[in-house]
Amino acid sequence: MTNYIINGLYDVIDPELGINIVDLGLIYEATCEGNKAYVKMTLTTPGCPLHDSIVNGVKERLLQLEEVNDVQVDLVFDPAWNPSLMSEKAKMTLFG
Amino acid sequence: MSHVIQLKSETNIKIPLTYIILGTLAFSIAQIILFIHSTNLLIGNFRVPEIWMGAHVLVLGFAMLVVMGAMYQLVPVVFLTKIWRESFSYIQMTITIVGVILFSILIGINPSHAIIGGLLVVIGFTLFIIQMLVTIFQSKNITIMFGYIVTALCCLFITILLGLLLSYSFAIGGLSFHEPLFYSHIIVGLIGFFTFLIFGFSLKLVPMFSLSHDFTFSYAKWAYCLYSIGLLTLIYSVWIDRSILTIVGFCLLAAGFTCFTMNIYKIYKNRLKRKLDTSFFFTLIALVHGNIIHILAFICSISMVSDRRIWSLLIFLYIYFWIIFSIIGYLYKIVPFLWWTYSYSMKIGKEKVPTLKEMINERVGKILFISFFCSICLFVLSYLIGNQFILIISQVILTITTIVYTLSILHVLQK
Repeated sequence: MTNYIINGLYDVIDPELGINIVDLGLIYEATCEGNKAYVKMTLTTPGCPLHDSIVNGVKERLLQLEEVNDVQVDLVFDPAWNPSLMSEKAKMTLFG
Repeated sequence: MSHVIQLKSETNIKIPLTYIILGTLAFSIAQIILFIHSTNLLIGNFRVPEIWMGAHVLVLGFAMLVVMGAMYQLVPVVFLTKIWRESFSYIQMTITIVGVILFSILIGINPSHAIIGGLLVVIGFTLFIIQMLVTIFQSKNITIMFGYIVTALCCLFITILLGLLLSYSFAIGGLSFHEPLFYSHIIVGLIGFFTFLIFGFSLKLVPMFSLSHDFTFSYAKWAYCLYSIGLLTLIYSVWIDRSILTIVGFCLLAAGFTCFTMNIYKIYKNRLKRKLDTSFFFTLIALVHGNIIHILAFICSISMVSDRRIWSLLIFLYIYFWIIFSIIGYLYKIVPFLWWTYSYSMKIGKEKVPTLKEMINERVGKILFISFFCSICLFVLSYLIGNQFILIISQVILTITTIVYTLSILHVLQK
């Protein structure tokens, strides 16, 4: 079920970087109990102006999944995001 | 241990967007006014009503309105707090816009009545300062950026008080301390307000746009101290007329600016994003320009250069190469973001949405930024050799570039 949630989140793209939030390493935890999905995530910087948009995007995307009718997103900055959390694909995109 | 953040920090998009659209339009209008009266620029005749009008439309109409719009957007995200009174913003915005238009017109056609518009500008700007200071002081996020932005707002308040006094001086035919008053107005406004503000926000925006990590603000702290002391020394020197203090002031300002550039370089070196956006790269170049201009000002002061044409040229370069270039670079990033938030933030996750890069034409931007740079270089050349033909060419290029830039910003709103 977690994979199902994670796969859905691949469709949420950080509009500044053009990379999905899973490959960016922003998702710390994604679970689903019954029809309720829970996501613990972060952003690349605490004062990100896209904060509300990305969190909203996560909720909207998960609500599109058939098995999900409720979503809770917790945004945390501890532990802070760091580049090692990115996938190789994301690193390749950024490093050109 | 993780701490859940539950904060909604997005500002109502209408406020920043209105400021930025009007500011961008003022950019074109200012450039057209300066183009029409460009022969005055060639002979270093900057202190005539028509040039004042162009300069005030540029600085108040373009730079200040854009800065206000950007601050309404950026202050909440930098300080992780909400705008204090959003409804109050509309009153403040209306007073400011009417004041800036009235003041800019009156200073060009009837300077002795400019104080009427000046009063509205003072009220609008003061309300803005109150709004921003209360918002910032709500924050628990006290960093070096707090110091820079609060100092910038204090400089703005002093600038408008000095400006008001200057308008009064014009109205009564000149106070005995008109000259130091005029220089203080320029120093606190142009050097103090804009530089502290651009420095403060750059400390947030540069790491964000370059995705930089593992850096410190150690040089930025030194830069803040040196630049503040330099600013105070320079202001003091114009009132007591001591050239040694002028030299010390310019030396400290140049040292402070260099420290700041070093900090930004450290951030730049630690970036993850190898290929930076053109507009953002342009703002980094503007920082280098600003640093060079500060060093040139120090060299001129130590060489006892008293030629008004040289100092006027330095002020002109400072306004364009540092302030305007920084603003137009950042604006090319901020406007797509604002419009994206307005148009797509509720669609993300539901459907495919464009990236911010797809909101604006980067290729056109590249041509525009090169064109801005070349036209100013041509202007400097014409000014130095006194060639009217090159001056007209430079002003034609600059005016066309400015209009196309304005159109390209407005074009984002159709996306």
